[in-house]
Amino acid sequence: MQKNNSQFTFKSYLDLAQLLKQYQGNHEDNRVFALTQTTKGSKLLTLWKDKNLFRVVDELDSSKYLHYLTLFTSLFGFALLLLGLFTGFALLSYSGKEPVNVIYLLLVMVGLPLLSMLLTVLSMFTGNLGASFFNHLSPLYYLEKIINFFPFAKKIDFSALPFSATLSKWIFLQRLQLFSFLFALGLFFSLVLTIISKDIAFAWSSTLDIDPVAFQGVLAMLATPWQSFFPSAVPSLELVEVSHYFRLGEKLDANMIQNADKLGAWWKFLAMATLTYALLLRLVFWFMMKLGFKAQLKKEVLAVVGVKKLLKEFETPFVSTQSFKQEKHLEVKEEVTIAASEVLADNYAYLLAWNYSEKTLLLLQDHNKVEVTNRQVVGGRNSFSEDQRIVDGLEGKILLYVKAWEPPTMDFMDFLTDVLAQKEVTTVEVCPLGTVTEGYSSKKSDIDVWLKKLEQINSEKLEVIDV
Amino acid sequence: MSSYPKFAVVGHPNKGKSSIVASLALDNSIQIGNTPGTTQVKRGFPLKVDGKVVYELFDTPGFQRARRVFSWLEEHGDVSADKRADIVREFVFKHKENNQFRDEVELLEPILAGAGIIYVVDASKPYGAEYEVEMEILRWCGQPSMAILNLIGDEDYREDWSRALGQYFRLVRTYNPITAGHREHLELLESMAQLKEEWTNPIKKAIGVLENLHEQKIENSISTIVDYMVNVLSFVHTENIKDEVLSQEEEEAAKVAYREKIIRYEVNERASIERIWNHNNIEKKEGALSLEDVGLFSKESASIFGLSQKELIVTGASAGALTGVGFDLLTAGHSLFLGSVIGGVVGGVGAMFGFDNLYEVKVLGQSLGKRELSIGPMQNLNFPYVLLGRSLYHASTIAKRSHAVRSDLDLNNNSFTEKIMEASMRKELEKLHGKLRKSDEVEDELLVAYKKVIRESFRQLLD
Ligand SMILES: Nc1nc2c(ncn2[C@@H]2O[C@H](COP(=O)(O)OP(=O)(O)OP(=O)(O)O)[C@@H](O)[C@H]2O)c(=O)[nH]1
Ligand SMILES: [Mg+2]
Repeated sequence: MQKNNSQFTFKSYLDLAQLLKQYQGNHEDNRVFALTQTTKGSKLLTLWKDKNLFRVVDELDSSKYLHYLTLFTSLFGFALLLLGLFTGFALLSYSGKEPVNVIYLLLVMVGLPLLSMLLTVLSMFTGNLGASFFNHLSPLYYLEKIINFFPFAKKIDFSALPFSATLSKWIFLQRLQLFSFLFALGLFFSLVLTIISKDIAFAWSSTLDIDPVAFQGVLAMLATPWQSFFPSAVPSLELVEVSHYFRLGEKLDANMIQNADKLGAWWKFLAMATLTYALLLRLVFWFMMKLGFKAQLKKEVLAVVGVKKLLKEFETPFVSTQSFKQEKHLEVKEEVTIAASEVLADNYAYLLAWNYSEKTLLLLQDHNKVEVTNRQVVGGRNSFSEDQRIVDGLEGKILLYVKAWEPPTMDFMDFLTDVLAQKEVTTVEVCPLGTVTEGYSSKKSDIDVWLKKLEQINSEKLEVIDV
Repeated sequence: MSSYPKFAVVGHPNKGKSSIVASLALDNSIQIGNTPGTTQVKRGFPLKVDGKVVYELFDTPGFQRARRVFSWLEEHGDVSADKRADIVREFVFKHKENNQFRDEVELLEPILAGAGIIYVVDASKPYGAEYEVEMEILRWCGQPSMAILNLIGDEDYREDWSRALGQYFRLVRTYNPITAGHREHLELLESMAQLKEEWTNPIKKAIGVLENLHEQKIENSISTIVDYMVNVLSFVHTENIKDEVLSQEEEEAAKVAYREKIIRYEVNERASIERIWNHNNIEKKEGALSLEDVGLFSKESASIFGLSQKELIVTGASAGALTGVGFDLLTAGHSLFLGSVIGGVVGGVGAMFGFDNLYEVKVLGQSLGKRELSIGPMQNLNFPYVLLGRSLYHASTIAKRSHAVRSDLDLNNNSFTEKIMEASMRKELEKLHGKLRKSDEVEDELLVAYKKVIRESFRQLLD
């Protein structure tokens, strides 16, 4: 029975449901957990629950509920055992005047149990509505209703419990079997005790006109299970005939008195009938209910909110794409503190073009119509020393063309710093230009990028021109 | 050297290196800015499956002093081509502590450690010879390399660029990180797989992993949407009332509370979707949560996502609708419809369903002399379609959004033009909507069928 994957107990089910309401982990943690374990499925679920149950700080619903169940079960179990005992004594009370009616006993000891088993079977195989109807026929149902008024039941928030009506049905049916068993056990004890302590005359009687032969037939049928190994516990036709009595006969039949010793043989049959039907068969039922409960529990575990997701996370590889290194980036500056002026001077001592080719420089100069004495291409494919030579010869007013769309690099900044450092240089006007298709006029956003960078250089000689 | 492929995304400053890495690493937290030099240190973005790295991508700072570096290399590099990488290595070694070459050191390090080179340029701007120094330095590193043409602006100089880049790089591909989706992502990986023979298999594996991940995200989104629909549509708001009879204020207050709760559901659903797609922390245009701003209950949202009266009837909503509230809604819609046609506003007929009929307010007696009012479940026939339409629109927008995008998420209902689903699909949906409207128990099969329709519709929107 104890197979590896059917180990989900009722308690772990309740705990899991409570835990999942508060904590479901994340894919990464859950997958890592699954990878470190060797089990799968519901066993893994149990392990996960055990590992994380500490997160539930409130009292566990399961301990409250199971405490309630145990208390309820032991209290009423004991009560029913006593009830069975007393019922038995009452039924077997024999004053010596009137024999004990076997039919009566059989109804309580065998008929009643068989009837409740029938109800159980009907409830087992019907859906919620039907089951509820059959359960309402059982006195135990009302007992449970009453119990809910007791203070210890009040502490439980039944609506917080995860299980469905179907699982409650199985819990109910299981308990019904247990209580019935205990009741029957009480009856059985009372029978045994009475037999030991008293000499009881059994007889049978009914308002209905029952034919002894037919009656014996029924009894023999009931006795089939033990007929082969305990024949003396099967009432014979002779016994049935001698023990038939009529209330109207007032006093006992002479025939009966004659056969008094034989009448005592009834108890064997009664004891065997109780043992077989009310006790052994009940155990079988109890076991069946247990199996039914287990099967249902397994289904309900999957229905608990979060379980499917958890199982999926156990099985799905965890993929991550993020970096684990702290990012370090430039502070994003929004405002620009320096402004670009829009006027070009009439003439310049030098026109420098950063990263332009000689050819483009000619076109540019033509387009912008600026008067320059000297013209130089800088940056670009120039080597470092070439640029250095150019810088060394600079003087006066300088116009520096740059590509507006290309952000200023440190290479440029170095160059500009060098230019500004030249003593003979009076001003440097940096002029970012747009592309040819833009008519060389630059975009505002590009100019902003340049301004933001150039404001880092603190020099009175520097100006930015936006044409 | 480690066994998995690595790639360093390098280039001039401000050409979209970080944007490309963000889109490939599905990480919208990477700093992207229009100021050159935004990225200051290299950062690895490993694709890990259960902790095992499949490949790693490096974001690096841009070249700042390429010419200076190259002149150092030339000065020290009078060696045969096979030794040039060592000269670069020497450069890095000698300048580790030198702040002047901090960016170059950062960007060269992963390459020298075996990373393939992905050189990024902005091909919407003219080619310039100044790039050749950078490419020359990269060539000296001797690693497999490819170039990516990014189109930041509107113009297209890809031809010029390709001619130049072709001389330095084995592969030249166009990739726009802002518009790239899942398919473009995988196509770029396919190209990267060609850079080196040993990398082909790991990158093929990475493609498989990312495909699965994408599918997983789609499935999770669908589940989220379905759960959300069930929760919203079956939601019942209850509160205690003071007197025997319900006062006007109490009723109004309860209606507001009910609507706010519905909006809360929507907000939470969107957050879940954004989490699934790694799009947390997106700034939203919608701003503070108030009934008016969200637009969920607006006429406009109804006219875009709601169904017309005819569509509702075809859908089968009318079967249950011909009684009670539903009937009122239909007729109300009808008269409003006529009104608006006369008024010349044709548009979506869904707008004609005012959202005043969302709910029935019921007063329930209670045992201890207290009374309760209850609102819900949602009675309006059309509202489920508005909720669903909005959530599918949002989810598909998020799913298609590149992680390089830093602009606010603008879910303007009006920009939604696609058809969400066919009439036959809506018929399937209506089965569930009807049950939830009546607070009936929902069977698993029904949910499965519902999910199927949502899946179909969501995938359509993603294509
Ligand atoms: N429209 C558009 N803009 C882009 C694209 N790629 C990058 N950008 C923008 O270009 C700017 C620079 O992008 P980043 O990704 O930060 O560039 P980077 O190369 O990492 O820059 P640094 O880190 O400074 O070297 C940002 O403002 C981006 O929004 C694109 O494909 N289309
Ligand atoms: Mg960057």
